[in-house]
Amino acid sequence: MTFKLTRRAALQGMLAGGSLLATMRAFPAMAQAVGGTLRIGLTYEIDTMNPYSTGFLGDAQAAVLEGLLAPNSEAVYVPVLATEVPTIENGGIMLSADGTKMDITYKLREGVTWSDGTPFTSADVAYTWEAVKNPTFVAESKDGSQDIDSIETPDPLTVICHYNTVKPNFASTLFTFGIMPKHIIENTDLNTSAFNETPIGTGPYVVKEFVRGQYVVMDRNPTYWAKAENGDALPYIERLVFHMLPDTNTLITQLQSGELDMVVQVPYSRASQVEGIDRVEIVRGPLLSWQHLDFNFRVPSLADINVRKAIAHGINREVMIRAQGGYPQAIKSLVVPVFDLYNPDTPEYPYDPALANKLLDDAGYVRGGDGIREKDGVRMSYQFMVQAGRADDENAQQVIIALLKQIGIEATANNQTGVAYREARYKGGYDLIYGRWITSADPVYSTFYGTGGENNGQGYSNPTLDAAFTKMENSLDPAVRKDAAFEMQRIIAEDIPAIALISNVAVIAKVKTLKNFVPNPTNMTNFVDTKAWYIES
Amino acid sequence: MSLSYILRRLLGAVPLLLGISLILFTIIHLAPGGPLDMYLDNPAVSREALDQIAARYGLDQPLPIQYLLWLKSMLVGDWGYSIRTSRPVIVEILGRVGPTLQLGGAALLLSLLIAIPLGTLSAARRGTALDSTVTLASFVGISTPVFWMALLLQLFFSVYLGWLPSAGYQTIGDGSLMDRLLHMIMPVVILSLATIASWSRFIRSGMVDVLNQDYIRTAYAKGRGEKGVMVFHALRNALIPAVTVIAVDFGTVISGAVITETVFAWPGMGRLFMESMDGRDYPMLMGLMMLGSVGIILANIFADLTYAALDPRIRYG
Repeated sequence: MTFKLTRRAALQGMLAGGSLLATMRAFPAMAQAVGGTLRIGLTYEIDTMNPYSTGFLGDAQAAVLEGLLAPNSEAVYVPVLATEVPTIENGGIMLSADGTKMDITYKLREGVTWSDGTPFTSADVAYTWEAVKNPTFVAESKDGSQDIDSIETPDPLTVICHYNTVKPNFASTLFTFGIMPKHIIENTDLNTSAFNETPIGTGPYVVKEFVRGQYVVMDRNPTYWAKAENGDALPYIERLVFHMLPDTNTLITQLQSGELDMVVQVPYSRASQVEGIDRVEIVRGPLLSWQHLDFNFRVPSLADINVRKAIAHGINREVMIRAQGGYPQAIKSLVVPVFDLYNPDTPEYPYDPALANKLLDDAGYVRGGDGIREKDGVRMSYQFMVQAGRADDENAQQVIIALLKQIGIEATANNQTGVAYREARYKGGYDLIYGRWITSADPVYSTFYGTGGENNGQGYSNPTLDAAFTKMENSLDPAVRKDAAFEMQRIIAEDIPAIALISNVAVIAKVKTLKNFVPNPTNMTNFVDTKAWYIES
Repeated sequence: MSLSYILRRLLGAVPLLLGISLILFTIIHLAPGGPLDMYLDNPAVSREALDQIAARYGLDQPLPIQYLLWLKSMLVGDWGYSIRTSRPVIVEILGRVGPTLQLGGAALLLSLLIAIPLGTLSAARRGTALDSTVTLASFVGISTPVFWMALLLQLFFSVYLGWLPSAGYQTIGDGSLMDRLLHMIMPVVILSLATIASWSRFIRSGMVDVLNQDYIRTAYAKGRGEKGVMVFHALRNALIPAVTVIAVDFGTVISGAVITETVFAWPGMGRLFMESMDGRDYPMLMGLMMLGSVGIILANIFADLTYAALDPRIRYG
């Protein structure tokens, strides 16, 4: 019993962000044996098993197809089908003489086979690139395929990618989503191929049955390459079943009746219900997403740093969090704390309405008869946009509107969806905008706040910040990148093009008998590393 | 009732369907959002990639052109491709028709078997405690939200008693007749509740009207027993107004039961509609709704034919 407690404490400690992985390894769990079924409830209908074209995060896909690299529970890339993460130091990354291009060499793991028995080779890697790049293949996850000019495969276990640019975040694109088997998909149309329903992968699980609108059954891959430290064949769990259950009530009923063992995204509003179920426990996992309030710099008063500072002091994150059931976490930087690039010394603006009011008074914004401030005859009244129909965001918007009113600023909801929202976001068709970004484990931040950045609809431009972005996004040296990232966070906090407000968490419900489960915060989902999970009998 | 009448009705349905398709197309595009919204939170999906996907599905064309393109391919039997799954719309729909017909058919059958006797009995015993009970139960049945009733049944039969599976079409690896029947019980009951309630009301009021007619008194005067009068004289006449309602309900079966199928994770058309609506999968939505419209039009023609069969005074030429 004591032992059990220790391990649980270790797990919780790790979830809290501490890195006690080493401790856990020192106490290998008992009674790990092959067997059992894990039944997982998904609220969406799986559209395709192809990780490149699915419109959702690839929960089920991640257990079948493996990438060369994968992000671990701390959002750090680790090797999977490659033997190491290429870096300058280990010779995996070679910069061209003029420093504008790079070659990345992957050494592939030996003895890996596809689940149909065919050996996995460098030809599969090269073909995956060609297939994804192919313009007739409709997929949204093509990021990175255009950055490679050619791929060389000198031997079955070596892949050399010739990049036409320097891309420090190469790991978050292309080969991480999964390598596809050349011998299966060659000469097929990947838009309609049977591969999209019953893919062949190298991963720990093999799809046995995909019934649309109902479930995906996958069984343990008996020839999976990875072994546990004690020599056990992996994975432990015999069968994973992904049930597609669109109704949240039904999901929770099934957790209660014992028909489901795990739900990876319990809505905040339902979490307390799940807490009451005996056989189930809740694990909170961090997510690489952040909610932000952006300013449109074309509005003169918002281009005034005093106003942005006052707004930053005027927002109470605690109220926003309470309005969402207490689950999100307050943040101060757009780099969420899971990342090692997170700068803990980022300046923050504590909630202080008195100070906010003083800042605005001092800057010459005086309250009119209706309590709303104005300067030079212009009222502080703003059009405030969120994506219409998104309950959590609309909720947060109402909180922000009420808080702004306290400091004499009027914000009026002007919510849009679809093309209208997207275009407004790209072109700055708003004064204030509140929304979220969900990123990979290695995001490019210049797209949001860099001059001319694709997602910078605010018209914001700051040469010092641009310099930090350039340094960060073009360097392959981890120390330089970290310095630049720290500087970027400091500049953003000081100049406030946007306020990072809260970060979401994944509320995961799982049976208590599922052990060794560690949540993964990245877009590769919790199922990117299932091999060590086991069910205690 | 002649064959030429049926043929004329079917021909008349063509312009009707055209009009419906135009209205549906307009309405689904009026709904906020679009099929590319699901990529909105991901900064790695570039504007270019979105434009490419839009072009692939013709979403970059002006709406009238999009409609004409859809109509053109529909006329040659091409239902288009689902934006969500990249698979042909017709293939997606065919995969869902079976479960929907199974669920809807069973529910309609159950409703008929219960609603007709219930409505008749209620009218025959008008004003008694039985009538009041049935009336009260009908109103409760009509007013109870489906999702709430479903949740109660799930909690009682699946969580508390553990007798029935709470959702799904079949147990994985089982799929025997018994297993499927067990999965059907709750959704069929839920789907039937409202129809039983409304149909029994229609039949009751039809019966009440008829029972005041002279020919009923005549039938009694001839010495016919109550059962005979009810079934052969009253019910047949009382059914005529009810047939319209029942027939239209039959027609809607083909479009699937959105809420019931969603709550019970039933892999039918209603749920496909829901998923397609969430993803603004326009080709899929158009296909589903056109099929539903055809169902309702056919049901109406069928209702008219049934009038003639029930009432010899009605003749179509």
